[in-house]
Amino acid sequence: MSMVAVNQAEEPKAGSRWILPLIVVLLVAAVAGYIAGAELDSIESRALEASNIVEKTWQHVRLVLVSTAVVIALGVPLGIVLSRRWARFVRPPVLLVANAGQAVPSVGILVLLAIAVGVGFRMAVVALVAYALLPILRNTIVGLQQVDPAVIDAARGMGMSPARLLWKVELPLAVPVMLAGIRVALILNVGVATLATFTNAGGLGDLIEGGIATNRMPVLAVGCALTIALALLVDWLAGTAERALSPKGI
Amino acid sequence: MSDSVATESMIRLVEVTKRYPNTPADAVRPLSMEIRRGEFVVFVGPSGCGKTTMLRMINRLIEPTAGQIWIDGRDVTHTDPDELRRHIGYVIQQVGLMPHMSVARNISLVPEMLGWDKRRTAARVDELLDLVGLEPGTFRARYPKQLSGGQQQRVGVARALAADPPLMLMDEPFGAIDPIARDRLQDEFLALQERIRKTIVFVTHDIDEALKLGDRIAIFAEGSRLAQFDTPREILSRPADDFVRSFIGERAAIRLLSVVTVGEVAGRAPATDRPGEALSAQPEEPVSAVLDRMLTQNRQILEVGGKRVLAQDLLFASTGDRQDPA
Amino acid sequence: MDFFSYVSQHWERISFLGMQHLQLVLIAVLCAGVVSLGLVAATERLPRVRAALLSFTGTLLTIPSFALFALLIPVFGLGVLPTILALTVYAVFPIARNTVTGLEGVDPSVIDAARGMGMSATRRLFLVRLPLAWPVILNGFRVATIMVVATAAIGAAVNGPGLGELIFRGLSRIGGANALNEALSGVVAIAVVAAVLDLIFVAIGKLTTSKGLHV
Repeated sequence: MSMVAVNQAEEPKAGSRWILPLIVVLLVAAVAGYIAGAELDSIESRALEASNIVEKTWQHVRLVLVSTAVVIALGVPLGIVLSRRWARFVRPPVLLVANAGQAVPSVGILVLLAIAVGVGFRMAVVALVAYALLPILRNTIVGLQQVDPAVIDAARGMGMSPARLLWKVELPLAVPVMLAGIRVALILNVGVATLATFTNAGGLGDLIEGGIATNRMPVLAVGCALTIALALLVDWLAGTAERALSPKGI
Repeated sequence: MSDSVATESMIRLVEVTKRYPNTPADAVRPLSMEIRRGEFVVFVGPSGCGKTTMLRMINRLIEPTAGQIWIDGRDVTHTDPDELRRHIGYVIQQVGLMPHMSVARNISLVPEMLGWDKRRTAARVDELLDLVGLEPGTFRARYPKQLSGGQQQRVGVARALAADPPLMLMDEPFGAIDPIARDRLQDEFLALQERIRKTIVFVTHDIDEALKLGDRIAIFAEGSRLAQFDTPREILSRPADDFVRSFIGERAAIRLLSVVTVGEVAGRAPATDRPGEALSAQPEEPVSAVLDRMLTQNRQILEVGGKRVLAQDLLFASTGDRQDPA
Repeated sequence: MDFFSYVSQHWERISFLGMQHLQLVLIAVLCAGVVSLGLVAATERLPRVRAALLSFTGTLLTIPSFALFALLIPVFGLGVLPTILALTVYAVFPIARNTVTGLEGVDPSVIDAARGMGMSATRRLFLVRLPLAWPVILNGFRVATIMVVATAAIGAAVNGPGLGELIFRGLSRIGGANALNEALSGVVAIAVVAAVLDLIFVAIGKLTTSKGLHV
């Protein structure tokens, strides 16, 4: 989804923290039970073979992991650079372009790249990275900018060098907001990776698209259920990691 | 209410109590109190003593758990609270002006709810802006954010006075204003009160403000205990207990000088026949102001009501009836 | 053929699909607005239910749009209805969250003053709380709208209406002469629709927000 949030995960109640993984487990169990019990024709049973499902799922996860790793490696350093004082004239136009990019549909980027450059895994990764860059870039900049100026002033007053200031003070204080951006990027990537099927890059979208194309609702339903389960699982993992990695006391 | 039969007592609290569910102690212990028409009463005490809760129970922003509230001879404990509040002025520290409405609209809110017509309301707005020292032509159309803190609170007071309520409740109205402006607002407000003679219940944690403004002061101790309810002069010269003594702090005798008038003190002091130029003063002037003039003009003798009194006699007569062994 | 001559040649179809896209978005946002405001109003005195509903609609937002669109096919078939429904689901959260944030963000001292002068709950809502929360609520509608404009493109994958059709048609003719132009015209048109709606929201905001709030 093209939802960009700057705000961080709210602290869930101890009980409700386990609702999401429970739903994921139930969804996957329901899918497994359904495949085992349903009468499937040849097209359906070929699409819903365990090996095929595992392969599509792995393709999907690989797309998400690779593109998220790349987008973090690109976005965080770029965000840090853009947050420096001397970059303050470059910052607004970059953010403007990045914000405007949000209005471009993800499927559009994917398709344009496929037509102009080519199809397959690498191009899909490029499209995912282009689309997920904004939340990471923006949250890195916002996270660094919202650090209390009085804290920075105090740190400089005690003689910290700019590099030490960045590492010891600014980045640790910006981490919660940056993590929120990474979480949004991850969720975006899970969603956009579903569309990679249109450019022959595989993933769970293959099941959904195959189900629509061959008019096999069981295949479509399994594809949708697994996609949703994956999205919820990633969201939950990211939220849990976000809380665990945020420095204590913030 | 303003048209009901005038009674001597404006507010009568009968065993008014507040206890929140699941708490061991009363937030306000049963409190009975009578406040007379036209009286300026100040509730003062440390934070958490229940003075604000007490105030907010009078217009039932907080509903009392038990007890009765009588206003202007009517039991209002169970009447419609909105209707009740429209006839009681309410001023709070944060002012709470509606930021999306002009100054004039803010002041007209209560008259509007009471069904006044537009012309009468508009005339009243201008009258009130004049009353609180804001030029109507300049300020009528402004928005709250375009005003300074002091100006905002003037509008807050004007808004509370809009429908000419006989009673005003004020919760630390000058608490967020810088000391110099606060002093001026207090003086202006006292002068205003001279003219409009409202019954006022005023909450503050600042004993100096209480001593300056109140006809009578209710000092609350921790746990909503009413430690003393009396005139500033009585409180300074006869503090009821150790709590009151420590709350009014040091230099009670010096403070007393600004509470007593030269007229009454000169009556107690011996007359002098020492020659020299005297400073003359009006009997209702506070001793402190007169002493200040004597010191700056280097006069040792005061003449008030035809009687000549020495400065030192004036001083000791002022504080002579204090009963404060500490 | 270059892009601009492609666009001028196919202007009629592009503008037709653009209007379709716009209608789709407006209907979905309108439905979502009704649902969100209803939810917020119904949970005025139920803060726990409200929090649970907000987190539920927030979780719906993490569902990949293609999966949600497709999931509605078995129930509603292909076409307009599942598209509108899916877009409505996505638009609920930003509107509901901003409405709650806006109402909760109203300065408590202003509410206290309003109660203290004897305003009834209804009067407080319409005279004080809603006007003060309005800029935030409107921004929720703006975020939802821009998001839905982009997401609606995927509706074409389930035969939904709108500009997504150009993108998918371009894709299906990959290698063909005008494939890139066709897909590009779809992408650009969607960005233009989003930009125009954004400007309209800025204008609405200027016109409907009290001057006292931005001095």
